[in-house]
This record gives sequence, structure tokens and C-alpha cells, in this order.
Amino acid sequence: MKKKRDKALVFSNKMYLFLIPALSFFLILWVYPVLQLFYYSVTNFNGIDYNYDFVGLKNYIKIFENGSVINSIGNTLIYTLVVVVLSNVLGLAAAMALNTKIHFKGLFRTTAYFPALFSAIVVGFIWTYVYMPSSGMIASLISLFGGDGSTFNPLGDFNVALFAIALVEVWKSFGTTMIIYLAGLQTVDESLLEAGRIDGCTEWQLMRKVKLPLISSTITINVILNVIAGLKAFDYSFIMTNGGPGKSTKTLMFQIYEIAFTDQKMGRASAFSVVSFLVIIAITVAMLFIMNKREVEL
Amino acid sequence: MIFGKKKKDDREVETYLKLTPKVLLLYLAIIVFCVVIILPLVIVFSSSLRHVSNQSSPLLLFREFTLESYITAFNNMNYPAELLNSIITTGGSVLVVVLIAPMAAYPIARIKSKLARFLYVFFISGLVIPSQMVIVPIAQTFSRLGIPNTRFTPMLMFITCSLPFSVFLFAGFMKGVPVEIEEAAYIDGATLSQRFWLVVYPLLKPAIVSTVITQGLWIWNDYFYPMVFITKKAQYSLPVGMLQFLGDKENPAQWNVLFAACVLCALPLIIVFLILQKHFVNGIAAGAVKG
Amino acid sequence: MKNKKFLSVLCAAAMAMTMLAGCGSTAGSGEAAEGAATAQEEKANAELEESTDTYDHEAIENAGDITITMMVSGTAAENDFETEVLPELINKKWPNLTLEVTKLPDDNYYTSLKTKLASGECPDIILTQPMYAGQNSCYALADAGYLAPLNDMDFVAKMPDLSAVTYDGKLVTATNSVSILGTYYNKAIFEEAGIKDVPKTWDEFLEDCEKIKAAGHTPIVMGDKDQYVLQFGLYQIAANEIYPKDAEYDQKLRTGETAFTDEGTWDTVLSMYNELYENGYIDATQSLGYGASQAITDFIDGKAAMTFDGSFNAAAILGQGEGGDFERGYFPIPAKSGDTHTATCLSAGYSIYSGSEYVDECKELIDYWFNGESDVWDAYVATGRFIVTYGNGADSIPNSDLFAPFIELLNQDKGHHWCNQAWPAGTENTMEELFSEMIGGQGTTVEDITNGMQDKFEDLLDE
Repeated sequence: MKKKRDKALVFSNKMYLFLIPALSFFLILWVYPVLQLFYYSVTNFNGIDYNYDFVGLKNYIKIFENGSVINSIGNTLIYTLVVVVLSNVLGLAAAMALNTKIHFKGLFRTTAYFPALFSAIVVGFIWTYVYMPSSGMIASLISLFGGDGSTFNPLGDFNVALFAIALVEVWKSFGTTMIIYLAGLQTVDESLLEAGRIDGCTEWQLMRKVKLPLISSTITINVILNVIAGLKAFDYSFIMTNGGPGKSTKTLMFQIYEIAFTDQKMGRASAFSVVSFLVIIAITVAMLFIMNKREVEL
Repeated sequence: MIFGKKKKDDREVETYLKLTPKVLLLYLAIIVFCVVIILPLVIVFSSSLRHVSNQSSPLLLFREFTLESYITAFNNMNYPAELLNSIITTGGSVLVVVLIAPMAAYPIARIKSKLARFLYVFFISGLVIPSQMVIVPIAQTFSRLGIPNTRFTPMLMFITCSLPFSVFLFAGFMKGVPVEIEEAAYIDGATLSQRFWLVVYPLLKPAIVSTVITQGLWIWNDYFYPMVFITKKAQYSLPVGMLQFLGDKENPAQWNVLFAACVLCALPLIIVFLILQKHFVNGIAAGAVKG
Repeated sequence: MKNKKFLSVLCAAAMAMTMLAGCGSTAGSGEAAEGAATAQEEKANAELEESTDTYDHEAIENAGDITITMMVSGTAAENDFETEVLPELINKKWPNLTLEVTKLPDDNYYTSLKTKLASGECPDIILTQPMYAGQNSCYALADAGYLAPLNDMDFVAKMPDLSAVTYDGKLVTATNSVSILGTYYNKAIFEEAGIKDVPKTWDEFLEDCEKIKAAGHTPIVMGDKDQYVLQFGLYQIAANEIYPKDAEYDQKLRTGETAFTDEGTWDTVLSMYNELYENGYIDATQSLGYGASQAITDFIDGKAAMTFDGSFNAAAILGQGEGGDFERGYFPIPAKSGDTHTATCLSAGYSIYSGSEYVDECKELIDYWFNGESDVWDAYVATGRFIVTYGNGADSIPNSDLFAPFIELLNQDKGHHWCNQAWPAGTENTMEELFSEMIGGQGTTVEDITNGMQDKFEDLLDE
């Protein structure tokens, strides 16, 4: 009990004063505009004319009637799944490989992180070239090795385009994920592993029973960050495919952007944002909950 | 060449793995993987060293060396001025963030109450809304507050948007800073701000480095806020300047110049990254792992 | 080509516009029509009000040192007219005036424009499009009160008809040129395939495509990954198959008298365009992954015989590629009946922000630029991007021989607006999406597309 009272003295409520600068920025320039957005969701604001009317829940009803919502949510979930799985599996594998005693570790690490230095817009343009039919990088490589490069056209294929742009996200974000894993793995106590080896555990068992549980919080962070990035996916649909072909790469955020800006229905787009905001929060919190629980179990 | 120096940074005095077939396979796998990752960037670099009009297959790597594309990009972008603007904007924003984000994280990490827990989640929830969506209300807010479009306007947004992740990172890291140190300082009669700035803050260095790099990276690369909140061309930063090379239905992109512009835009980052990378890895480690 | 002829061109364009405008007002007064969209419609078609007052023609001279800001869409080329030449010449004319011009790629331009309007920091001069076209449509912006009336400007007298940029009796966009959608072709390939002349009917056009295919060439290359290029072909066909039969078709859409689903309208247009894909004249498996600029590159490399594109892209399409210096031509997609019309209409132009401190100064600036003889005008015409209709150079604009067939049609009163100019922004996107699905083998039918367009159209009009 005494200890606890000391704590309250050391960490008094006066500390909350430290929040003031950051909280002011956040409240005025982020929370307030977001609340404004909530308000627009019950109006027929078109993004230009500020003489708008209150329309009640009409925008919400419209977005649920509209099939484009289901399409964009589906695309976003697939995109997110691809990014989360590939980025984490590759990131973890690479981190484990680099966590052994090998030469040129720094060089490999630098290389893997390099793509993260470029802006999404640059990356989008580079990969537009990489994926270009007939004269693009991959198509040229296929031709070089005797294949038929002219039929390679991922961004023009309805079934492939979404995976193609998700792969770009993986390419860019993989390095960060790997570095976080690498850092997590370095906290694993070598002596624990030694003990395991003496007990006759195989490397695979060591990984499953010792390493993974020990870096479970790192896994949580990586997965959550990738999930958020995936659900917010916008850049590559915007830069590389413009949502096409058809609407096969329209993500949630792209769809919202299109409703707000192209269709000039800011009110409906706001309703859409509110719904997706709630969905993303729900998914994130649920993930946090499940992963935290797993962390404990492990 | 640049990487040669890097090797020394790894203070791996221990023996390396013996070159068994299994280990060789590991090397091979890593090398192939790295080549796949780096290949698009190599092509970008090689294309940027070509003549503006050279449209032959970019896979013919490094057949031509000319700075023509760079000179075109350099002049069209007004590189020195835009570089300076980028440095000011990024530097200024990051500086403010590493001051106020740890301050906000301090009570969140130290006080065990529902309010602190709520504030933590509150800040993190800022991560999930993309800026394109809120841009119109934000612009109206600026208008209501009477904030004009100056070179500082985008910085306000950079700072705001960096807060969620930074607070998350600092709060996580701060939980790992032993409270005993502070208790000792408290007994020695240090005031709250002395304790924070003199005792806790210096211990946050890895998390600060990590914030500088992660937030600096997106701020440096962001064209959106400067594009919408800056009216004068003289105040443009590098990514906005780069937009003009992208091409549209009236002027198809000149790939070689575009790639040269990409390299020019990323160059300062690459240099900083190569210098700071060791800190970076440690910083990320510190910030994220304990979060 | 002589000035006179060009003037008559304009008259023709004007008449086309007036026809559209005229019918709109009847539509607007229809009793069935209700709601904001219709009210807007009515305003949209009011006649240009005669202005009695005039603005201060010495505004800049008396203003002291000022900075006028201007924002346009596009990407800056080498020695760009808007961002480099114009500010320099303006500063030479008025040393006390600094013109600050920003040029942004289309999508970024739209976003910036909206943000800047929201923050009350809109540039003094902005680029706007005729009628309802795009996110910078002059009607939408004028309806919200953002555009200053320009009725008292001097250049107005030189333009016979500006109804496509006149809203509620107020001229809101200063424009002086026309834009064309057409078919660029490679004369060398045409010759090689044994084609003597440009096709005169749709059937001839198909036959020619077949000949080109038989000669081992790609007939048409398109960059359908940038879905907007679908409009380049479709609107040409619509100009042939819809508007000649019912010039008021688009106005009637707004009152419900016509619909996209009407037989013999868009179903015809879409099926005709789809024939080109079905017969392999445009290779959908390739075009869907091709960007617009790649398509242009293929064309100038001599890899395809034709591409549908606008006059605004002439400079790029006439450029040199691996294909060398082959001769190029430009023709409108011919009509089924042989009575070919063209998608040629008023271009986008410049508007003055109503909240600007320098409205008169901007008017003086634009009038100087548009006066048909200033050095700004000459530089403007010399870019070759604008098909101006009066003044110096109107008879000698670069590539005028290329545009001649279209101008001739305009003279015969056969020019029509681009379809999306009359639709609420966003309708064309649905058309493009669904059409891409159809050519991409997703089982979408022509009927699905017209239904989708109609639904979207009604949805967008519904406030």
C-alpha cells in the first residue's frame, strides 16, 4: 500500500499538463476536423457549395444500398491480407536469416530497407514501369529468358491487378517489418536457446516454442501496423491503376476519395468515412485484443 | 563502396558461421532476395543516367553515362531552393514532434488510470484516418482560425499527423525506463519538469532517433500537404516539385528525367539513412519492441 | 486557312452550343422537373446578359506592386507557357505585377482547388471547364458563387457564343479556343495496308482496320489503364450516332425524357466501340495494362496504325519516336450513315475567383493576353496546344492542316460537345469502369453499362 501511495506522489496528476501542447495540435487540427466530417455525413454537402442541407441518415442508407461498398471492402480486405501475411512471413524469415552470424549482414539489412526511403508516388511510378506489358522490367526479363513477355500484363488483368499492387506495398514496407523483427529477435536471450539446444530441441522446435513466444509483442506490433496500412490503402490504386481495370483495385479509401472528389458527394463520402473509421477501429481493437491474449497464452 | 564502411559498424567480433552447404544456401537465398528487392531501384538509377530521349530497353543497364537527365530535373525543380524548403519543413516539424510527443507520452506511460489508458487509445485512433478524407474540414479549420497559407501551414499538419505514432512509440519506450530512477530524483527534490527533461528525456534517445527517422521519412516524402497549403512556388518542397515530372494526358512522362528527379529527391534521405542506420535499427528496436 | 473561315467555325460551334442551350431552358421549365439540379439547369441556360458597365482598364497600372496567383492543371513542359513564358511576359508588360502560376497534374489540381476554396485561399485565376465537365466545371463553381462574372471583358466581343461557359446570365470562364477528339493515324502503315483514303463510313473504318491487321500491324493502340481514354473513342461515336438525331438528348436526360437505356442511343455507341475490341482491332488484354502515355509512345514508335486522342495531345503524338518521321493524319471516326459529325467544342478556360482582391486586374491581364495581337497571345498560340479562333495566328496555328477536317465539319454545323460536359461529373467514370469490365471479359453486357450509367446519373442528380 505504501509503495502505491509513493507512486501517486511521484507521478501526480500534474503530469497531465505535459499533454497540453500535443493535445492542442491533435484536438484542433485533427479531432475537430474529423468531427466536422461526422457532421457532413448527415448533410448533402458537395465539397464546394457551403449552402448545404441536413438530410438525416440518407447518406448512410445510400452507401449500404450501393454495391460499390461491398466491392471496395472486399478489395481492401484481400489487399490487407496479402500485405499482412507476405510482409510478416518474409520479414520474419529474413530477420531470422540475418540474425545468424553471417557476413555482410549490414549490407543486406540496408538493401532490404532501401525501398522504404522512396515516397509512395515514386514507388508507384517505378512499379508501373516494372509491370508494364511488353517493354516493362518483368516482361523484358521474361522475353530475355525466352518466354513471351507480351502476354505479361498484371495491371490489366482483373484477377491479378489487386495482388500486383499489394505486392508493391509489401516491397516497400517489408524492410521496416524486417527491421522490427530483427530488433525483437536480438532481445531473445541466447542462453535460453543454448539451454534448449542442450535439451536436444531442433531448430524448428526452438523457433516455435522459444523464439516466437518471446517476440510475440513484436509480432503484434508488426501485424497491427500492417493491418492499419492495408486498411488505409490508397496510394497504389490511385497512382498505378486508378481503381481499374473496371473497379478491381478500388480500395475503401479510393472509393471514398472518388465519391468525395469525382462524384462531388462530400456528404456521402463522409458517411462512408465514418463507417470505415468505425470498422477499422473495431478491427484494430479486436486484433489487439486477440493478439494480446495470445501473447499471454504463449 | 558506401557499404564497405558499414561492415565495420557491425561490431561482430564473434566468429562467423562456417561455410557449410547449408549456410551457402542461406547466403544464396539472401542474395537472390536482395537482388529482387534492389533490381527496380538499379534500373531507376541506370535510366536516370541516360539521355532524356533514350527510350531503349532500360534493362540495358549502364550503357550510357550522362548527367543530362539530372541537369534537366535539377533545373526544372529549382533543386537548391526546394531542397532547402524540404530541410526546413522536415527539420522543423520533426523537432517539434520530438519535443511534444514525449511530453504527451510521459503521463500516458506513467500514470495508471483509465484516463491515461483512454488518451493512449485516443492518440492511436488518429492513425486510422487518412488525410485525403479530412482535408476539406482541415482547410476550413485553418480558415476559421485565420491561419493563412504560408510555408508553416503544412508543418502544422505534419506535426499533428506525426503525433499518433510518435506518442505510441514514446509511451511504449517509456514503460521500459525504470521508475526507480525517477523516484530517486523525486527524493532528491527534483521538480516534475526537471525530472522529465533532465532524467527521463536523455534516456529516450533511441526512441527519439527512431521517431526522427520514421516521421522524418514520411514528412520528407509527403507532397499532399505542401501541395494544398502552399501557394507560392518559391516555398515548394522537393516532392511537390517532382509532381511536374509525372506526366498526364497532355505530356507523357519523360521516364529518364522522372527517375533522375526521384533519385535527387531521395538522395538526401539516402545519405542521412546511411549515416544513421545503426542508430535507426537500435531506435526502432527500442521503440517498437517494448511498445 | 483564312480568318474569316475560322470565324465561321466559331459561329458553327456557337450554334451547336445555342441549340443545346435553348432546349435546356424549356426542359428547365418543365413541370415534372424539380429540385436543385433542375434549378441549376435553368440558370445554366440563361442568355448572356449584356453588360453596360465596364471594368477599370487601368487597374494594374494604378495598383502598385501586386502579386496575382493562378492555378492550372497539367504538367509543365520545357519552357512551359503558363508557368514560365506567361509570368515573364506579363512582368515585362507591367513591372509592378508578379504573376505566380502553379501547374498541377489533374487529380492533384482538383484536390488542391477544393481545399483552397475551403480555406478561402483560392488563387485569383483558375482553370475551369465548360458546363458540368469534371471537378472544375464552371457551372458547379459558379453555382456556389466562386466565379466572378466576366461579361464586361473585351474579348467577349470576339467570341460569337459562350453559352457553354455562361451561368445564370453571367459569363464565368474566359476561353477562346476549341478542342477536338479524333483519330490520329500513321499514313505509312495505311499505305502499306493498301488504304488510299481515310474511311468515310463506319463499315469502311472496320474494313480498314481489318486490312491493317491483315498486313501484320496493330490497328489501334489505346492506354485503357488510364480509363479516361475510353472517352476519346466513345464521344466521337456519340457525336455521330446520338446528337445528330437528337441534339437535346443530354438536356432531356436531366428531365427524364430520355435515358441512357433508350434504344438506338448509348447501346449503339457502346456496341460499336466494343466491335473494335471484339474484332481484336484494339487488344484489350494489352490496352488494359497500358497507360495513356505508353499508348502514345507505341504510336510514335510506329507500332500501331491509329490511336484515338484529343487535339490537346497533338504535340506529343507528332513527336519523334523509334518509328521515325512518318507522316501523321487526323480524322473523326466516321458515322454509320457516312454523315460524320465531330466531338469538337469550346475548350477549358480561365476563371477569376470571386473572392479575389484583384478582379479588375485579372480581367485586364486576361484581356491583354486574349486580345489577339499581344506578345502573350503570340506565345500562347505558338504552343500549338490551343486551337484559337480569332486574332494573330488563327489562320496559321501549328498543325492547322491536321485539324482541317474537323474545322470543316464545324463549319458545316456538325460539331458537338463532349458528352461528359453535359453530365454530372462521375457519370463517365461508371461508363468507363463498366466498359473496361466488358472488354476485360467480366461478363458485363452493353445493357449493364447503359443501366449502370442511368443509375449513376440519377444518383448524382439526386441531392
